[in-house]
Amino acid sequence: MRFEEELVELLPRLRRFARGLARDAADADDLCQAAIERALKSRDQWQDGTRLDSWMYRITRNLWIDERRAAGRRGIHAPIDEAATKVAGEGTAEVEAGALRGDVDGAMARLPDEQREVVMLVLVEGYAYREAADLLEVPIGTVTSRLARGRETLMHLLGEAA
Amino acid sequence: MSFDPATVAAFVDGELDDLTARRIEREAEKDPDLAAAIAGHRALKAKLAAHYAPIADEAVPERLRSLLARAPAIDTGPPVGASPTIDKSLAERREAKRARFAPLHWGAIAASLALGLTIGLKPWMPAADVTSIDRTLVASGSLAEALDAQLASNQPAGADVRIGLSFRDRQGRYCRSFESGDLSGIGCRDDGRWALQRTMGGQTARDYRQASSGELAASAAAMMVGDPFDAAAERDARDRGWAD
Repeated sequence: MRFEEELVELLPRLRRFARGLARDAADADDLCQAAIERALKSRDQWQDGTRLDSWMYRITRNLWIDERRAAGRRGIHAPIDEAATKVAGEGTAEVEAGALRGDVDGAMARLPDEQREVVMLVLVEGYAYREAADLLEVPIGTVTSRLARGRETLMHLLGEAA
Repeated sequence: MSFDPATVAAFVDGELDDLTARRIEREAEKDPDLAAAIAGHRALKAKLAAHYAPIADEAVPERLRSLLARAPAIDTGPPVGASPTIDKSLAERREAKRARFAPLHWGAIAASLALGLTIGLKPWMPAADVTSIDRTLVASGSLAEALDAQLASNQPAGADVRIGLSFRDRQGRYCRSFESGDLSGIGCRDDGRWALQRTMGGQTARDYRQASSGELAASAAAMMVGDPFDAAAERDARDRGWAD
C-alpha cells in the first residue's frame, strides 16, 4: 500500500493520540499537521515492513516534547524537566478523591507529560509495555513506573476504587 | 491480597504469562480485594477508552487529509482524486451512525463493565464488547469498531480483535468472522449493527471450549454463499459501510 494511504488510515488514531498529548483540539490537529509534514519529509527513514503507527507516534510525541521544551523556555509552561521530577498526585493534593469524577480531560491534564504519554500509549492505544518503551526510547521499568503513577493519580481523581 | 499492585496492573494490561494470569484469575474468585482491584483497573481503562474513542470516529479535517492527498504517488493505487469523496461519505455515514447509537453504545460498555454483563463470565473477567438489543446479541465498543473498519489484509500487529473471513450469507448480509481474547465468532450486518451469529469463548475464557480457527472457518463456510471476499472486495465493502 502507498505510504500516503497508510498514513491516511492512521489519521483518526493519530488525532486521538495527539489529543491526549496536547489536550486542546486545535493544538492537537496542529501537532498532527506538523507530524505529517515531518513524516513526508523523512519518509526514507521509515523502514518498510515496520509499524508505521509506531513510527508516526514517535514523530508526533517528539514534536510535542520539542514544542513543550520551547514553550518552557519562553516561560509559557513549566519546563518538562521540572514536570518529570513531579510525583504523582503532587499539585493535586487540594483535590479530593473523586472530585473530577467523569472529567477525564481534567484528570489527564493533571498528569505530568511523561506519565500522560504512557497512559495514552498503553491504556488508550493498547501498546504493550515493551512496544511503548521502544517507542519512547526508555527502559521498560520506566514505562511501568510512570504508568503506575499515572494510573494512581487518575483513579484517585476520577474516583475509581483502586 | 497476595499480588502486588504492579502485577495486578500487568494482568489487566495483558502483560503476564498465561500461568501467572491464570493464578490471578483463580485467586480473584476467592479474594474480593483482588477482584475489586482488577475491576477498578478495568473501569479506568474503559473510562479512558470511552472518552478518547469518539475522537478517532470524527471526520479527519480536510487540512490534514489534503497534506497526504497532494503528495506525489509513487506506485499505482486507487486514483487519488477518488478517495476524498469515498472517505467523506464514509465519514458522514459514521457520523450519522454515531448520532443514532452513541448514547446506547457507550452506555452499553459502561453497563457491561459495571455489571459484569459479559457472556457467562465472572465480573472481573475481561468484558466482551457485546451488548444485547431486542434480545439479539450485537457487537459494540472495540469489537464493533473492528468489524466496521478493520481489514483482514491489513491488521495492526497487536490488534485486540483479529478479523478472519468476510463473506455474504444466504440472506445476502455481510458477515465477518473474528477472534479476540475473550470472544470469537461471526458477526452479520443487520440493520446497521453486527448481530453475533456464532460465538465461542476466546483464549482467555476458561469456561468455554477453546475457539479454534478451524471451527470458525467451518461455521463460516456453512453460512457462506459464494467465495469469501478477497482483499479488494473486503476493502470495497468496508468503504461502502457494509451497506448495499
